[in-house]
Amino acid sequence: MTNHYIDLKNSDVILIMGSNAAEHHPLAFKWILRAKENGARIIHVDPRYTRTSARCDYHVPIRSGTDIAFLGGMINYIINNKKYFRDYVDNYTNASFLVSPDFSFKNGLFSGYDAEKRTYNKDTWTFQMDANGIPLKDPSLQDPHCVFQHLKRHYARYTLDKVSSITGVSKENLLKVYEEYSATGAPDKAGTECYALGWTHHTSGSQNIRTMAIIQLLLGNMGIAGGGINALRGEPNVQGSTDHCILYGNLPGYLKMPTASLDTLGRYLDKYTPKSNDPQSANYYQNYPNFFVSWLKSLYGDAATPENGFGYSWLPKMDDGKHYSQLHLFERMYKGGIRGLFAVGTDPAVSSPNSNKTRKALEKLDWLVCSNIFDNETASFWFGPGVNPKQVKTEVFLLPAAATMEKEGSQSNSGRWVQWKYKAATPPGDAISCGDIQIRMMDAIKTLYAKEGGPNAESILNLKWDYKDPQGNMDVLKVARQINGHWEADVEGVEKGGLVPTFGMLKSDGTTSCGNWIMSGSFGADGENKMTRRGKDDPTGLGLYPNWSFAWPVNRRIIYNRASCDINGKPYNPKRKLLEWTGEKWVGDVPDGPWPPMADKEKGKYPFIMKTDGVGSIFGPGMADGPFPEHYEPLEGPLDHNPLSGQLINPAIEIFSDESDQVHNASEKFPYVCTTYSCTEHWCSGALTRWQAWLLEMQPEAYVEIGEALARELDIANGSKVRVSSARGKTTCVAMVTRRFTPFTIEGRTVHQVGMPFNYGWLYPEDGGDSANILTTTVGDANTFCPEYKAFMVNITRL
Amino acid sequence: MSDTLQNTVRVTDPIERIAHWLLAGSCLFCLFTGLGLMFHTWDFIPALLGGLYAAKWMHIFSGVVFAFALAYAFVMWKKDCAFEPDDARWIAQGGGYLWKTDNLPPVYKYNAGQKLFFWFVVVFGVLIVLSGMIMWNPLAFPVAVARWSYALHALSALVIGSFFVVHLYLGTIGNPGTFQAMTTGRCSRAWCETHCPRWLADRDKGSPTT
Amino acid sequence: MKKTEYVKLIDTTKCTACRGCQVACKQWNEMPALRTRNLGSYQNPPDLQWNTWTLIRFQEYANKNGDFKWLFRKDGCMHCTDAACIKVCPSGALYHTEFGTVGINQKLCIGCKACVSACPFDVPRFNQETEKVYKCDLCYDRLKDGQQPACVLSCPTGALTIGTKEAMIETAYQRLDQLDGKGVVYGDKFVGGTHVMYILSEDPAVYDKLPVKPRVPASVILWKNLFKPFTLIGMGAVAGMAALHYLIKGPHEVHENKEGGE
Repeated sequence: MTNHYIDLKNSDVILIMGSNAAEHHPLAFKWILRAKENGARIIHVDPRYTRTSARCDYHVPIRSGTDIAFLGGMINYIINNKKYFRDYVDNYTNASFLVSPDFSFKNGLFSGYDAEKRTYNKDTWTFQMDANGIPLKDPSLQDPHCVFQHLKRHYARYTLDKVSSITGVSKENLLKVYEEYSATGAPDKAGTECYALGWTHHTSGSQNIRTMAIIQLLLGNMGIAGGGINALRGEPNVQGSTDHCILYGNLPGYLKMPTASLDTLGRYLDKYTPKSNDPQSANYYQNYPNFFVSWLKSLYGDAATPENGFGYSWLPKMDDGKHYSQLHLFERMYKGGIRGLFAVGTDPAVSSPNSNKTRKALEKLDWLVCSNIFDNETASFWFGPGVNPKQVKTEVFLLPAAATMEKEGSQSNSGRWVQWKYKAATPPGDAISCGDIQIRMMDAIKTLYAKEGGPNAESILNLKWDYKDPQGNMDVLKVARQINGHWEADVEGVEKGGLVPTFGMLKSDGTTSCGNWIMSGSFGADGENKMTRRGKDDPTGLGLYPNWSFAWPVNRRIIYNRASCDINGKPYNPKRKLLEWTGEKWVGDVPDGPWPPMADKEKGKYPFIMKTDGVGSIFGPGMADGPFPEHYEPLEGPLDHNPLSGQLINPAIEIFSDESDQVHNASEKFPYVCTTYSCTEHWCSGALTRWQAWLLEMQPEAYVEIGEALARELDIANGSKVRVSSARGKTTCVAMVTRRFTPFTIEGRTVHQVGMPFNYGWLYPEDGGDSANILTTTVGDANTFCPEYKAFMVNITRL
Repeated sequence: MSDTLQNTVRVTDPIERIAHWLLAGSCLFCLFTGLGLMFHTWDFIPALLGGLYAAKWMHIFSGVVFAFALAYAFVMWKKDCAFEPDDARWIAQGGGYLWKTDNLPPVYKYNAGQKLFFWFVVVFGVLIVLSGMIMWNPLAFPVAVARWSYALHALSALVIGSFFVVHLYLGTIGNPGTFQAMTTGRCSRAWCETHCPRWLADRDKGSPTT
Repeated sequence: MKKTEYVKLIDTTKCTACRGCQVACKQWNEMPALRTRNLGSYQNPPDLQWNTWTLIRFQEYANKNGDFKWLFRKDGCMHCTDAACIKVCPSGALYHTEFGTVGINQKLCIGCKACVSACPFDVPRFNQETEKVYKCDLCYDRLKDGQQPACVLSCPTGALTIGTKEAMIETAYQRLDQLDGKGVVYGDKFVGGTHVMYILSEDPAVYDKLPVKPRVPASVILWKNLFKPFTLIGMGAVAGMAALHYLIKGPHEVHENKEGGE
């Protein structure tokens, strides 16, 4: 979240799209209700009427996978009706920047497309520069090459008729949402968007969010109280695990994972340290070397020296152009290219797409180590349905792990609050925390390497690994302090070992060590663990609660908060004063940097300090699939054409083309759009919650939600058993006939959509059904490879 | 005064007396346990029986006994208790219990008051048994049926209980010489001539005095 | 002892049907879960059970204009002031607590099931195995300790709140104003006022299993207010009349003159 949960209450209009907030974030949802009590409008756009819809002002049904069309129509509406916040757009976005004249967009493709590789060469996705290397701008926004005009032309195609025909949303509903939401373009209005997996689980997942980011920038909703784009993340540590690099392309704090061609530290830093010639751009990532070298120091300690590039060469590197997402890992495993797997706190046999393929892939492993609080479908795959244990060679280990409440440590919520918690109970039996498991494992590996040596030995042997307490267990505070960072040498009156109070003090010369730069400041220099703070004071009255836990970065509660003020530092909305420049300093939230507002041409800085150009990106060349989001049909959908262009599917997605990855587009065999989700009563794959009798009692078995019209057509009775099948597999479950799914009219014909929870598995409960992922496609987002769980085609037959 | 034995008439046989006492006993037991269940102030009754839970089951079992006894009594006495035209006259004169009357119609085995009692017991007995059965497992019945069963059960208890008191009085001190009918089964000839003259006459014609 | 009456207010307009209350209730009261099946609804268990003292009812509803709504109603004991269950309970297992709520003491319950059919809200549930009746007691043990009931504590959205009767009735009507009158306050106008009240978004008649005008059943009133006292009065009166008869008219003597005459 750019903002935080409590801040939702400050909103005037909340668009919930790509999220079932009430069901999956039931605690956070209270702040949405609080906004509603304060008079805010709450709009839910979702294929299915859910418990969220029930509490919103209204629900707008939309066909799965057409969010960009819906939002593109909104951009078109905002521009045509001049609903954008001109002052904000002019000053705080790249709307006025002139794009290279070589940039183009034709028939669904941006310039630079390589059809064979399904990737873009982004050389033309650049700005025109002046002699000083600063982007050229047209403040009038009239130049045909300026971002604003490109934007206008791009989304002019997203007419109401077109959008309605693609999304299945009536024109009345489209207009209603567009009007209400774009009204937040006024300086004293705040609109926010809440999304979750309903947006990310698509082949255009990242672009779904980008489209909304453009809208928020146009309406001046970024960096303000009650605004922002808010990813609602699940159970406490989804945010934390991402911050600490759960994704293959990241290192802690969203630093980049090196690739093989970046063979020296210099080359690596050169590539990832952005440069700006604009003196008013803070370009905060120019500090990248400080963060990265400090991280290397945390990894290798004294062994990391300037002479050896701080051990950069010991880091594993990704092959250039190769990806290592879960999709790729299982693809490779399926083809026999992976021998061993650690599945820690995960149940991919249920949660990964195309379960039949995933489960088959596990059979190719030599060994599998699972670590969980219960047995699950992954650890027990070898006796799963259709598997002959005698023919499975995989040796499986199941390590009993401690549950969340059985260990001390930090948990990060979506609002970037890193909150410390204490151990509430001792884990049962032999269970120990996953941290302890890793500590012991690495100890053993280090011992083995010391004795026998092996490939890449330096990386293992030089690893700083001093995180144990006197009893030999993981000392979580030691880990936390290392994450925060400390001095590696006596500098400026600070002794070696002293805690670094903020990442602003991190150095690239090896004098500081920091495990995750964004967490720097979670401890004070005096040793105070700020994550344990529980102060309830709220000086701004906006619910920032600055003394409650620690929020990264540097306890900033709302990111890009300087954009809540005009260029002179006066708040756009005096009623919700997040920040104000007094002439000497900023008062309010922790500002995005201490510099004066940008009207001060000498010392002032632009507000979007993490962006190289210092402004919000309406034109976003960083994306793999285009600087402007474009609607493409899901990999598997009901249409054989894209009503907007000649490109049916996202041209930049990777196609997996094994026999097991079959796709049937616009096929009579699989005529119904299907989407997957979870439910309030179960968490993720259900691997933890299905064993909980009270929860299981409420949601006891797999079901498919079918609209009344389709159920009538197929003569399916509520509560009866049906078979749901796709080109990849089939599963049996209970039909839940409901009025909450209504048919769509797409390109003039009726399209039915159904939906299934994925949180069931064959292992437990007995006769509880199996994962909906038996049906899903092996395909991911063009940027992140986040799998497409939300749109694919199925057939349903009564049993 | 003649020899007691010679001057007595056997008015009931042992089966009749057993049935009567089963009926009366179970009824009385139900009555008291029922009162104990209905009135918190009468909880000494269930207390004596080992608590309300025990009293509930005793009430139910006693009710079962009552039901069977009632069924047998009905079969046994229904003929003798069938109304005849003269009964109206008997009732019109209050059976001679309330004021002085001279022309009471001669009674066969049972007078109209006794018949009335019998039929009230039969009708409300059936009701109390049926409603009791429903109350035993009210969940198996529609809620309205269950609810009205409780009311009906109480109403039937009220009716049977009240008649029971009358019966008790008239069967003991109200009519001296009657009680033996349900103990030894023999009443004095004079008693018979007073209370069931036509039956006595029939009997005398048919068989000698025992 | 002066009673402080408490009322739990269920604001259905804030309920997201997360069912935290349903679980919290079972957890606090140590009630087991039973294996259920999906019967085509989120509502599960399908109804109140001896081990399920509260549950969210899910109802799909479209009004006359065709506006679709998904209604959630937390069902459970309403804690009536004029409580039919207490009226019919022979053992004193059901009783009014000092908070005005209806407590239940399973130790006293004899499993007569009279309360089950008497309840106008169809709340008490009988367990065949234990031969006891179960229902919500609004966490009497917690209330006594100054704690909120488990369900209220678990509610993330503020749909469940508890406070003194006066305060909650005021809160309810204030909320109704906030909703521009688009709602109904349910619970203060019948059976002497319930200690669980609703703010409903729709007319009460719309909701499954919610009586529009709940009252102590006429059968219970007849039984308890008329037949019950008259059982004693009737028997007593008859006994009295018999005694009078005996005193005034004396026993009905057999005519001695006829003896041995024929």
